Amino acid sequence: MKIELKELRHVYPTGEEALKGISTVIEGTEPVAIIGQNGAGKTTLVKHFNGILRPSSGDVLLNGESIKTRSTAQWSKLVGYVFQNPDDQLFLDSVKREMEFGPRQVGMPEDKIAQRLKVISELCGLQDKLDMHPFDLTSTEKKFCTVASVVMMDPEVVIFDEPTCGQDVRGNERLSKIVQSLKDAGKLCITISHDMKFVVNNFERAIVLYKGKILLDGKMKDVFAQPDELSKTFVSPPPITRVAIGAELGETAFTIPEFMKAFDAKRGAAKHE
Amino acid sequence: MNDTILEVKDLSFRYRGAKRKAFQHISFDVRKGEFFCIVGANGSGKSTLCNALVGLIPFYFEGRMKGDVFINGKNTKESSIAELSSEIGLVFQNPFNQLSYTAGTVEEELAYGLGNKGIPREEMKKRVAKVAKMMRIDHIINKNPLELSGGQVQRVAFGSTFIMEPEILVLDECTTQLDPLGSEEIFDIVKDLNKNGITVIMVDHDMERVARCANRILVLEDGNQVAIDTPEKIFGNPDMVAHQIDVPDYVSICQELKNRGLFKGEVEVEEEPTIQAVKEALKV
Repeated sequence: MKIELKELRHVYPTGEEALKGISTVIEGTEPVAIIGQNGAGKTTLVKHFNGILRPSSGDVLLNGESIKTRSTAQWSKLVGYVFQNPDDQLFLDSVKREMEFGPRQVGMPEDKIAQRLKVISELCGLQDKLDMHPFDLTSTEKKFCTVASVVMMDPEVVIFDEPTCGQDVRGNERLSKIVQSLKDAGKLCITISHDMKFVVNNFERAIVLYKGKILLDGKMKDVFAQPDELSKTFVSPPPITRVAIGAELGETAFTIPEFMKAFDAKRGAAKHE
Repeated sequence: MNDTILEVKDLSFRYRGAKRKAFQHISFDVRKGEFFCIVGANGSGKSTLCNALVGLIPFYFEGRMKGDVFINGKNTKESSIAELSSEIGLVFQNPFNQLSYTAGTVEEELAYGLGNKGIPREEMKKRVAKVAKMMRIDHIINKNPLELSGGQVQRVAFGSTFIMEPEILVLDECTTQLDPLGSEEIFDIVKDLNKNGITVIMVDHDMERVARCANRILVLEDGNQVAIDTPEKIFGNPDMVAHQIDVPDYVSICQELKNRGLFKGEVEVEEEPTIQAVKEALKV
């Protein structure tokens, strides 16, 4: 899968210029996180990836084809979008119907629907809730119901908008598992998130937006090695990274083992002096 | 104890028609001026407990309640929600559930509770202006609450609770609609209120924030009271992970240093002391 952004600009009818010329390429299966403060243009940007929004100027190419050539409904086979608020997305009277709806609309064979229903409901922890009404689910389960119904479509790209919002420890673990299994299946995951711990542990590349432009774009470690740049858009590295910076360990650590490795190296070096 | 402001005694509740109790045998007390946090996985009973603390249980939600809640020594069962509202106020998890749906403007929404209590007009105006400024919603005071963004509604919901000037504020994940900057702004206000003597009871998933704010933490799991203690004791207890508590990374770093014999005493739960501990350990 390849998404090319070419000098993408978006101006809302109010006159507000939300995107001021974005150019980059997202390719392959490397999970990408889009970060930055509210109003930086994150949601506006990803809504161009399946044509919910259309460029004011510039273009978005999906596998070489301009986003302008097809409708959002047609692109949705290729690009799935998981809304931040499940209530914006759920509308049927059982979890099973919710999951089957999209694939049926696009003519997926019934046996494939049945087979995917089994695998994906387990992945999303909904295997025992298929007959429940979505509004009787807990807020966590509702979120996974929206994830499941998007993944059911078997899109090449899955976009998550603030997936960890309101999730507990188990919900976060499950989200990590879903991102990993989509990657293993050759899919491209893109997320918008304020949860830096979730971002650094599950995504490999970060695109940092600031006032409608790209501030930083690169490997997670390289991006988070620049806390001063990040602070412009009010992004603060996760706690482990902040302590490593504060204690001058000289490494961008995201996990406890990485942190302790950097710690031991620094301590060893100090002993030899 | 003299300074106890809220007391929960062997409290259990089951929603009408529910198969199991939302929570059971909960007992704790909150001291005047305390910052008290309630944590636990989704479905562990946190929100239901909040409803019981402010009297929405048993007055609004139907079900079977056992045990008692006392606020300033008065049993909530023997009070009314209107009486309780000047002593204890709840900011809902979903701010849209908190709107009156009768107010045409943010100003009316903020004044709604005051009107019900018969506060004089001049006093009402003063309080609305003060709270609107504090919550940074003074520029949208004439807008319809239903036209606002989620973050703005959350500020209005918070304002409409605080305007009643309750002695105890109960916050049920009250910043889920806000970005980190917006959340921090709200928490700065909460911390200020707490410094000025308001008792705060807060439910939150962000353990770094809980560790930073809380005097004591109550841990719930599947409706049961698992532990109640200081952040250092709760997060320093290795069993907490089994109760689905996400220990702050600062604690994990201190534990690692301890394992290497480079750190002694109670774990740190905040950024700056952890950095100092790491710097000290580098010198050992």
